[in-house]
Amino acid sequence: MTERISVAGSGAVYPVSALCAGVALWWALTALGDIPPFLLPAPDAVVARLAGNPELYLVNALFTLEKVVYGGAIGIGAGIALAAFVAYVPWFRRAVYPYLVTVRVLPKLAIAPLLLIYLGTGMTTAIVFVALITFFPLVLNTAAGLDRTPTAHHDLLRSVDAGPIERILYVDVPYAIPDIFAGLKQSVTLAVVGAVVAEWVVADNGLGFLILMGSENVRPDVMLAALVVLLLVGLALYGIVVLVQRRVHERLGLETLD
Amino acid sequence: MIDLESVGVAFDEFTAVADVDLGIDDGEFVTVVGPSGCGKTTVLRAIGGLQEPTTGRVTIDGRSPSVAQEAGDVGFVFQQHTLLPWKSALENVVFLRKMADKPPDREGARALLETMGLDGFEDARPAALSGGMKQRVAIARAIHLGADVLLMDEPFGELDEITRDELGVEIRSLWRRERKTIVFVTHSVPEAVFLGDRCVVMCDRPGRIEATFDIDLPGPRDTESLGSGAFQEQVAAVRRTLHESYD
Ligand SMILES: Nc1ncnc2c1ncn2[C@@H]1O[C@H](COP(=O)(O)OP(=O)(O)OP(=O)(O)O)[C@@H](O)[C@H]1O
Ligand SMILES: [Mg+2]
Repeated sequence: MTERISVAGSGAVYPVSALCAGVALWWALTALGDIPPFLLPAPDAVVARLAGNPELYLVNALFTLEKVVYGGAIGIGAGIALAAFVAYVPWFRRAVYPYLVTVRVLPKLAIAPLLLIYLGTGMTTAIVFVALITFFPLVLNTAAGLDRTPTAHHDLLRSVDAGPIERILYVDVPYAIPDIFAGLKQSVTLAVVGAVVAEWVVADNGLGFLILMGSENVRPDVMLAALVVLLLVGLALYGIVVLVQRRVHERLGLETLD
Repeated sequence: MIDLESVGVAFDEFTAVADVDLGIDDGEFVTVVGPSGCGKTTVLRAIGGLQEPTTGRVTIDGRSPSVAQEAGDVGFVFQQHTLLPWKSALENVVFLRKMADKPPDREGARALLETMGLDGFEDARPAALSGGMKQRVAIARAIHLGADVLLMDEPFGELDEITRDELGVEIRSLWRRERKTIVFVTHSVPEAVFLGDRCVVMCDRPGRIEATFDIDLPGPRDTESLGSGAFQEQVAAVRRTLHESYD
């Protein structure tokens, strides 16, 4: 996987061309094909929809973003904290780690309706759900990362009687940085998925709600417009993580491989 | 003064080292040589307080190794390279001293790297250094720590012969300057003879000291002395002991 967020450089020529070709194909299909516009609106109709009522999409994008940011922050924070326990408390690791690994196969989306019953139809349900879904990639990646320090490095610190806090802060954490970012990238993607699913279940507001309404009223143009905004939100969040990762990796002299 | 009194180390049922008695004076350069798996690393770790002996005891200047560790008196150079990949050569050297809670001395670290032939590479990260340079940094780090005792576990194990000889000469001159107590583990007999004032020969099953040689070489030790007759004789004598222990 190569990800070049910047459009500069010759590396962007191919993907940008592919995008243009895709949009052109879509447009040709609507213009030349025999598809009724209410089923598949032309690209320009979707743009017109966005331009016609920007507040609607902006306001709902902010609602979705709010869930992503609050839920994500809680999930990521809790994930890193639990990872530290898994990495440094042997009995805790033995008791909990097998379940953390097993729960991975559980489709977390299936929990959303349950949360609805426990937490009601408010913002809380969405935030808790996003937190839950972002939590797992961070725990597993971070715990693996904190384990990565070669034992000889631990011996080195022991030989000067350095304490566990120093060891964790100065050695284990830097070694875990690439894994933490791998977890963050998964989490940030899942956070958007989680927010949309929560909006379908709770049906209060946000881009997910907009898509749900569009579906009920058979308005593909509204749905596609909301999807485009959703894509931009997801890309922006992912882009932020990648940029921070580049910065941190640069400072640590690590290569950013993916 | 390092003192090992009938030190034994067992891992579960397996006796790795048995009944090692060894006294090392301040400022002495002692080499330990023996076949792979005979317990050299285990003995070194016991001296440095990284491995608790199952029997017997180790003291460094009358203190237990863990007390010596606390005082920052134990400088380890490991066989595997243990430089932090995200820190520059200079930062790595400074780092260990900081971890030992000793007052920082960046200028001293810089000067030390220079005397070890690393000027111009202070700000390079380990990935940009050759194997020999990395070991030089690791040795500089142990010296900069200011420990009286340097414990080196096959520090040149992964280096080519030319670099090994070169670093050997450097270690000797460093030792003359700094007057540290050095315990140097190797599986190379010529290296053990060239470096040590005293060479401890170990055998396995169980790991123990087979013999101790006082190495007496005329003149200063440089690459010339590697070809001298006295050197060759000493090497042959140590080899004989090693092979005899297997008959
Ligand atoms: N932590 C451990 N647990 C179990 N056995 C161990 C452990 N450490 C060392 N041993 C065993 O003790 C013996 C001596 O090991 P040691 O590492 O001291 O040998 P060595 O002389 O340093 O060998 P080499 O030259 O290959 O480094 C070996 O048989 C090894 O398998
Ligand atoms: Mg060894």
